[in-house]
Amino acid sequence: MSATLTPNRRLSPGAKAALGFFARYATILGLLAMIGAFAVLSPRAFPTVNNFTNVLNQASLAMIIAAGLTLAVVVGELDLSIGFAASLHGILVTGLIVSSKLPIPLAVVIVLAAGALIGLVNGVIVTKIRVNSVIATLGVGTILTGLAFAYSAGVPIVAGVPEAFLQLSLGRWLFGIPNNIVVVVVVVGGLWVLVERTALGQEIQAVGGNPAAARLAGIDVDRIKVLGFMISGTCAALTGILLASRLGSGTASAADTYLLTAFAAVFLGSATLRDGEFHVLGTLIGALIIAFGFNGLNIFGAPTFSQYVLQGAILIVAVGLSSLGRSIAES
Amino acid sequence: MPEPAAAVASDPRAVPFVVADGIAKAYGGVQALKGVSLSLYPGEVHGLVGANGAGKSTLIRVLAGLAQPDAGRILYDGRPVAIPTPHAAGALGMNFIHQELAFVPSMSVVQNIMLGLPKKSRLGFIDWRAVAREVAPVAAKVGITAPLFANVKGLSTAENWLINICRALIRRARLIVMDEPTASLSAGEGETLFAIVEELARSGVAILYVSHRLDEVLRLCHRVTAFRDGRSIATIDKPDLTRAALVEAIVGRQVERLVKTTTGPSTGPAVLSVRGLARHPRVKGVGFDLRRGEVLGIGGLVGAGRTELARLIYGADSTDAGSMTLEGRPFAPRSPAAAVKAGLGLVPEERRAEGLLLTKSVAFNLQLANLTRIVHGRALPLINGGRRTSSSLKIVRDLGIKTSSVDTPVGRLSGGNQQKVVIGRWLLGGPKVLILDEPTRGVDVGARGEIHRLIRDLAAEGMAVLVISSEPDELPDLCDRVLVMAEGRIVRELEGEAVSRNAIIEASYAEPVLAGVTS
Repeated sequence: MSATLTPNRRLSPGAKAALGFFARYATILGLLAMIGAFAVLSPRAFPTVNNFTNVLNQASLAMIIAAGLTLAVVVGELDLSIGFAASLHGILVTGLIVSSKLPIPLAVVIVLAAGALIGLVNGVIVTKIRVNSVIATLGVGTILTGLAFAYSAGVPIVAGVPEAFLQLSLGRWLFGIPNNIVVVVVVVGGLWVLVERTALGQEIQAVGGNPAAARLAGIDVDRIKVLGFMISGTCAALTGILLASRLGSGTASAADTYLLTAFAAVFLGSATLRDGEFHVLGTLIGALIIAFGFNGLNIFGAPTFSQYVLQGAILIVAVGLSSLGRSIAES
Repeated sequence: MPEPAAAVASDPRAVPFVVADGIAKAYGGVQALKGVSLSLYPGEVHGLVGANGAGKSTLIRVLAGLAQPDAGRILYDGRPVAIPTPHAAGALGMNFIHQELAFVPSMSVVQNIMLGLPKKSRLGFIDWRAVAREVAPVAAKVGITAPLFANVKGLSTAENWLINICRALIRRARLIVMDEPTASLSAGEGETLFAIVEELARSGVAILYVSHRLDEVLRLCHRVTAFRDGRSIATIDKPDLTRAALVEAIVGRQVERLVKTTTGPSTGPAVLSVRGLARHPRVKGVGFDLRRGEVLGIGGLVGAGRTELARLIYGADSTDAGSMTLEGRPFAPRSPAAAVKAGLGLVPEERRAEGLLLTKSVAFNLQLANLTRIVHGRALPLINGGRRTSSSLKIVRDLGIKTSSVDTPVGRLSGGNQQKVVIGRWLLGGPKVLILDEPTRGVDVGARGEIHRLIRDLAAEGMAVLVISSEPDELPDLCDRVLVMAEGRIVRELEGEAVSRNAIIEASYAEPVLAGVTS
């Protein structure tokens, strides 16, 4: 057999089925194997309720922003503005609370609306002015970084952040479940129902799958794409708010790295359970893989640089698995 | 050896150039070829016919080195050969021209012809003038009228075919396989192609001519092999070559010919009225009335502006001028979504590119235009799984769509069944006007009859149906009335007895048309 992985060339049906199984379940098996390995190697620190809760809590912000990004990629676009947007939103929410003395709920609502607005701007640029989404969202993201520095004058907003705002992400709910995890369940669950179980979700999937066919079937493709960007933008805002609450400050560039994490989670997710198709549940599993990977590195005291190496490697493996799945599905 | 040397080859004692002997091939669990045999002699035009899924494309893939047979052998000049790669097929002098022609759009005619071949060079630079001097006689022979240094982007499909044939000749092809050559050619362009095919055969090239269009096959081919369910059923030589013999070999049963339920020209009220509709450069002022319960055909040459007209009516493109009314009310859809809401449906020309999401299920594709009907309610817009399945199953049964379940990805269905899914999508909502663009292109004979009957039934139930077709035989079978378009205008209206294949073809040429290829 030649070294190529193109599955329709000279592969027996059995080999193809095995390859297909691998492409679909490799991520989940990898997650389980990783948890198993860490549990064996570090039986006291790793497999504890405390550590698992901690990992989920840590991963929650990445899960929210990645779930939002999933909506943008499901409609067939990329949103590179989310990390920069989340940084701006963190500054904005602390600024509104500390400097403008707005009540916390009102500040949160305003910032969420700002997130949706940024998504709207992205969507309009992509659908109406027909700018490629990579360029459009990169441009918008860069502008947002500028706005973040302008609003904060480059200085983190630290002083005077009220305890109630910190409790937003540090607090715990029933049975001591961290608030963040509750938010993840609500947001990810809501988006899953939206995409998989509603009429609108069917249109969202159709637009990403074949925009020309969706349009001729009577679906307003532009409207659906704008919606995808708005959901992505809103989730980025939510992540920015919770990060500011966790850090107790609004800092420019604080959330920038979430961009890469979110993309890695989304592409890992597309290689999970389905043949290279983006979906919300997959993204959740992708985010878990990354979170447990980092947690393991931390427990074993791996140096910081290794986290970057891991993240970059995961992204490439994820996209590879995803396109392998797609080529199997199409053959 | 499956059959004796045929008398039709230019030299009766000629050795077959290529013989496929007992070829079998499975994809996944599907046995695409169960043992097919075929001999190709130099100088013959050999037809290959069969329903969709009969195994024609798989055999071509095997010959082209794109798939390896599980069993059987290929003889080349009497000796067994292996064809491991497309490159090897090319080295043996075998050339393949597919429906979707492969071109580099930004390159010139001569660059495309010479793609991948060694070229004359001077001082390390390609000497395009010298190359062009070499190519020019071959290009003239196959009838390329476009300048060799023109960009291929603006050329017609017919000229793209000629360029591909020219490419094959430059490569000293001994066999040219043509897959559905006339699928996107107009009648006149087809004539040009036929003349060239005959000329090629006379010069000793073997042609394997794969087509659903039996009239062409009967006219052009010396011998025809029919495939059915992955087996070669029969190879029929010229004297015995009749339409009935071919159809019997393809279908294996007598096809019922659609008897038109002639209700006479419908005199019902106009559902859709079109007046002076225009969009530069293809549609130049078109007006007609579409009545309730009628099947109105639009005939004409490819490029006459028929698909463009359908897109204007459907709101897919914006109009420059003109107006429409739907059931007496002004109708100016700004998008397909608005047209669908107003009660229109479209079955587009490019089924795979514009009609379907191939990796999604049959149910997903069927329900795409009916999502509001399968939710629990306006207040709770969640999909009702039971209703989704039952309404999909009803369509699958009513239309006789062959699929193992409604959850099967639609890409795994045959062409005819895929087309039924696209049509079925519109039955759930019951549109007032249904537009079908080339409804039976690439569909096998049996499915074609079923789709025709379905269209008649829809009209009988009161739907107004507009059918666009390039196949001269299709509209007389199907339509109460036919409008013939040429150069963006309606040039003839045919009704009742006057609707005939010849009248449509004649009217297509009525105007001083035929830009591009002339014969």
